[in-house]
Amino acid sequence: MELLVDKVSKKFKDKKAVDNISLELTPGVWGLLGANGAGKTTLMRMIAGIMRPTSGQVLYDGVPIQTLGEGYREVFGFLPQEFGFYPEFTVKDYLAYVAALKGLPERESPRRIHELLERVSLTDVYNKKIARLSGGMKRRVGIAQALLNDPEVLILDEPTGGLDPGERVRFRNLLSEFAHDRIVLISTHIVPDVEYIATCHAVIRDGRLLATGTTDELVKLVEGKVWSCIIPARAVPEYESRLQIVSLRNENDGSVSIRYLAEHPCNNNSALCVPRLEDLYLWMFPQGGGENRKRTNRKSGRRYQ
Amino acid sequence: MRILFLELKRVMKSKLTWILLALALLLSLLLAWLPTTYCYSNYTDEDGNEVNLTGLASIAHEKERQADAAGIVTPQRVREAVETYQACLSSYGVTESYDLPEGVYEREILPIAPLLHGVKEAFADPDTGMAPAIMEIDPEQIDDYYSVCEARITSLMAMEQPDSPGAQGKAIKMYRNVEKPFEVYPGMNSTVLDYQNIMGFLVLLFCVVIAAPVFSADYQSGADDILRCTRYGMVSLGMAKLFAALLISTAAFVICVAVHILAAGSLFGWECTRTSVQMMYSIVTLADMDIGGLQFLFAASGLLSVLASVSFTLFLSARCRTTVSSLASSLVFCIAPVVISMTAPGALGTWLCSILPASGTSIQASVLYAITDFQFLNLAGLSVWTPYAMIGACVIEIPLFAFLAVRSYCRHALN
Repeated sequence: MELLVDKVSKKFKDKKAVDNISLELTPGVWGLLGANGAGKTTLMRMIAGIMRPTSGQVLYDGVPIQTLGEGYREVFGFLPQEFGFYPEFTVKDYLAYVAALKGLPERESPRRIHELLERVSLTDVYNKKIARLSGGMKRRVGIAQALLNDPEVLILDEPTGGLDPGERVRFRNLLSEFAHDRIVLISTHIVPDVEYIATCHAVIRDGRLLATGTTDELVKLVEGKVWSCIIPARAVPEYESRLQIVSLRNENDGSVSIRYLAEHPCNNNSALCVPRLEDLYLWMFPQGGGENRKRTNRKSGRRYQ
Repeated sequence: MRILFLELKRVMKSKLTWILLALALLLSLLLAWLPTTYCYSNYTDEDGNEVNLTGLASIAHEKERQADAAGIVTPQRVREAVETYQACLSSYGVTESYDLPEGVYEREILPIAPLLHGVKEAFADPDTGMAPAIMEIDPEQIDDYYSVCEARITSLMAMEQPDSPGAQGKAIKMYRNVEKPFEVYPGMNSTVLDYQNIMGFLVLLFCVVIAAPVFSADYQSGADDILRCTRYGMVSLGMAKLFAALLISTAAFVICVAVHILAAGSLFGWECTRTSVQMMYSIVTLADMDIGGLQFLFAASGLLSVLASVSFTLFLSARCRTTVSSLASSLVFCIAPVVISMTAPGALGTWLCSILPASGTSIQASVLYAITDFQFLNLAGLSVWTPYAMIGACVIEIPLFAFLAVRSYCRHALN
């Protein structure tokens, strides 16, 4: 089982949303990392077959997905970023509707719906209208519909948005169980959601693929660049202005412990840290300080792979 | 079938659908009853008191007064009616019935009035089209009444379609084929059919409002992204949505029109539906049918028009990205025949009104008015009576726009 994204590009008028991306997705959980507007959703829509690439193609087991048509959609599950539903439908009605569209036998679908609702802890709202559910519950209905047909290829665009920490943990566990012998691609900018469950990651920026690899492989890219130190609380604004600070924790003695990204330590008491995926993400998509902004410009378009 | 059933269930779960369908049913009853409220008659009773009657009482009274006129409209009966009319007016020294003293019309002319329908029109001047007063008509000429009528359609078509001998020939041929003598059964008037037209138009609007969001609402909410990724989420779902909308529209229209016809027939009397259309509309109307047949034909063509409009609306819905745009554009096309019939006279207006999907039940430009009119569409020597063109256009448009709607849905957002 293999999903191949082959030199795929998508152009909207003058803007290239996805620029010549090639990616070979094998069974396991894949994290698609990128900032807002990086092109994640466009790439996922093309993999889902609901958007046609300007150039390139997506192949499933060597066959273009357009050629497979119904055959591809039969083994496919998708949760888009914006989960649209019918406001007049209850959870049960909606899932029965999607189950029919997915070709689940009529007798089997109630059992499957119950099973999935238990997995996503929604059995209490079985007969409740989706419109009346909380954001997190709606998201879980979305996840349940994507899993209805037990898909071989599952694409989830920002699936954890709106989920509380407990729900996110349950979601991660559910996905880990599910992903065995299946291709799961999760797009997110919430790095911890994929850090521990994703086999591999693909990082995209401005429509281009910056890096692919396992968590261990990718974090090596920021090895020697993640530091921690303790600074006086009053010095925080100054450090923030010139460093990319990953985390900041107040200590009891009035000092502050910071974790930051930099090519070199900013003071003598800085110690090297073991890098995490989030450090890589922030290194590639810097949010703050001056040095990092300069780094971004300098490395723009560079391919790490 | 399962997807179709679920799609039907989905549409029927919407409160808006139920509100519109209930409103349509209510309006069907209301619009069947309303024409009775316009019926009015008055007479002087045996004690010399003036009695005013309205509604069903008025209808019953007129039916009773005109009972002798009911039946086959033979030239002999028309002649006798004209002679009675002329004798009555002469005895009072007037030339028009509205100059008669109070109570005389009700007593002497009203009982024969149904037989006088169309007499003036039949004897209209062939060159000017001006109708004479009944007093000016020579009763002896009425002995050959239906030949006079045939001569009238010849002169009328020469005036209406001077540049189209084909249309003239067809009209004359059609009129010759109309079953004669006519029949008349007093009690019903053309307002009943006008209100059937209004009812059809309103049901069409409601069906369009129900159909307009079918695809566009899914695009707008993003629900479509999930559905089209499913095994049957493309052609099968597109067709299920299409058939669900067409089925609901068909059921709504058939029920509403049946309720309207049943209610109107019950209120005015079923025998009235046996009246020849020529005895309610123009005496030279080309359609060979009675009022019941006209009601049925109008209902059938109205249904085709509703289905064509819904197919077209679904096509627009599959093309538009938002519910507002699909609804607005659909309503514009529903109202277009009304606007065109008022603003674009001549061949262009006739053509547009004949081919637009909503024309069949449009106010002022529907199949009903086309049947009682003498318009022909002329193209390259071919002349087609507009009701045929309207029905033919709908028959073509239903599968055409249905196909385009499903195709547009399947291709939506791909690029």
